[in-house]
Amino acid sequence: MSDLAALLEESYPQSVRTAYLILGNQSDAEDAVQEAFLRAWKFRHSIALESSVRAWLYRVVVNTCNSKLRVDVPRRLRAAADHDLEATPDLEDASDRFAVVNDVTAALKALPVHLRIVVVLRYYADLSEREIAIAIGRKPGTVKSRLSEARRRLGEHAALRDHASHSFDDEVTG
Amino acid sequence: MTMIDEDTLRSALRTTADAVVVSGEGAERLFEQIRDDDRSESRVTRLVREPSRSRRVLMGAAALVIALAVGVPLAIHQNAPARIVVHGEVPPRVTTSGTGFLSTGTQDLSASGAAVKGITPTGAQSSLKTATTQRIESTGTIAITVAKNHIETALDKLTALAERDHGYVESSQAATGARVPRLFTTAYIVLEVPQASFHHLVSQVQRVGHTTSLSTNSNNVTSEYVNYQARISALKVSLNQYLAIMTRATTISAILAVQAQINQIQSQIEQEQGQLNVLNHQTTYASLTVHVATPNHRSPSTHRSGINKAFHDSVSGFVTGFEWLIRLAGPVLFALIALSVLSLAVRYAWRGVRRRRI
Repeated sequence: MSDLAALLEESYPQSVRTAYLILGNQSDAEDAVQEAFLRAWKFRHSIALESSVRAWLYRVVVNTCNSKLRVDVPRRLRAAADHDLEATPDLEDASDRFAVVNDVTAALKALPVHLRIVVVLRYYADLSEREIAIAIGRKPGTVKSRLSEARRRLGEHAALRDHASHSFDDEVTG
Repeated sequence: MTMIDEDTLRSALRTTADAVVVSGEGAERLFEQIRDDDRSESRVTRLVREPSRSRRVLMGAAALVIALAVGVPLAIHQNAPARIVVHGEVPPRVTTSGTGFLSTGTQDLSASGAAVKGITPTGAQSSLKTATTQRIESTGTIAITVAKNHIETALDKLTALAERDHGYVESSQAATGARVPRLFTTAYIVLEVPQASFHHLVSQVQRVGHTTSLSTNSNNVTSEYVNYQARISALKVSLNQYLAIMTRATTISAILAVQAQINQIQSQIEQEQGQLNVLNHQTTYASLTVHVATPNHRSPSTHRSGINKAFHDSVSGFVTGFEWLIRLAGPVLFALIALSVLSLAVRYAWRGVRRRRI
């Protein structure tokens, strides 16, 4: 079981960032991952039944994120709509880096949750299609079609394409 | 249809994710909790796997708790007095018989209630018994006859008698006769009164009409009462111990296991408490069933027409014949088996004789 404790500790930062890409909010992401890890630790005896520990762990994280998106986030958004409309940050003066972040976040938020999850798991968490299938509890064929649909929808975001291509060009030239 | 490039998407997502600075504060608390849990689990695993002095002490303590929980009620039960049965029928007189360590012998059972007072424990009983108030359960049945048209009046009188003795009517029923449909010819009423007033009530009921039969039954249920109390006490001790264990349980499996035990014990306590409550009511209130009838009333079971009687006789005859066949089957079967064994023995003997002759 100590191996799992070490794995949890090691994968914590990446799990938080994955959850952030799904949820679009850092404190929600940290809450979700901590809750998911605690849940994973409590039910660690069921890991023996799972073929991939990594996929199993992401499954717990994804389920917790889904739960937050269903309950916590809409409740907070409603509260914010009533009391805190002025708190939205002004991104006009943000640096290019934050502009990319803003565009990617906006593009991801525009995606339906089921497409957002597969995109993040595939292109950020680097899970294989089979592992994603385990993590979301669907067939690999479903994962493939969802990925294709997500990439098509993200391709419609011109700003995202431009920012990402600049960044990519910088990386290549750098 | 434009599809975003995989590498572009990967890069954009990485850039976005890297902008997130993960704070270590919450994570540190989480992993501290996990590490503590891991350490405590390792201690439990060591305790289970490696026989040690602490394990032996724990097992000994657990065995002692179980022995006390089982042994104490059992010991009390073995020392408990036997049931006393007081049974009587009037006229002309009532007799009382007793068994067990309680004094036996015939004594007059007056309607004023001397029977229960006359029961005295002998030397074999435990000190617990002598210290406990005796719990007596009393029931009785009395049949009285009253004049025609007086059934309802009698019922009213009986109700008033019960209320005067601080009791109440448990149930009552009145029935009309076949020949006179609008007139009650028979009724019964169940009266519940405090134990101390039971024999007074019996004597008062006898004055309402002419008593044709009387039967009273008093059981000393002190032992059962004490048993229930002891079992509940033992269960409550176990429950408190499990609750203490629950506060120290850290793993989900341990919590579930302890919770299951707690649920089971709570259920047992409720069950025992319910039975104790019933017994408490039965020993607080005595029950007297009074059958009231008019003098000419005949029980439907004894009044049969010729055809009805013939039919019942026929059924009875059939049942008797069947019983006779069953009774006969046993000896016949035995005789057949005996004959078979005998014939086999004779056959082998005959073969032996023939071989010798040859």
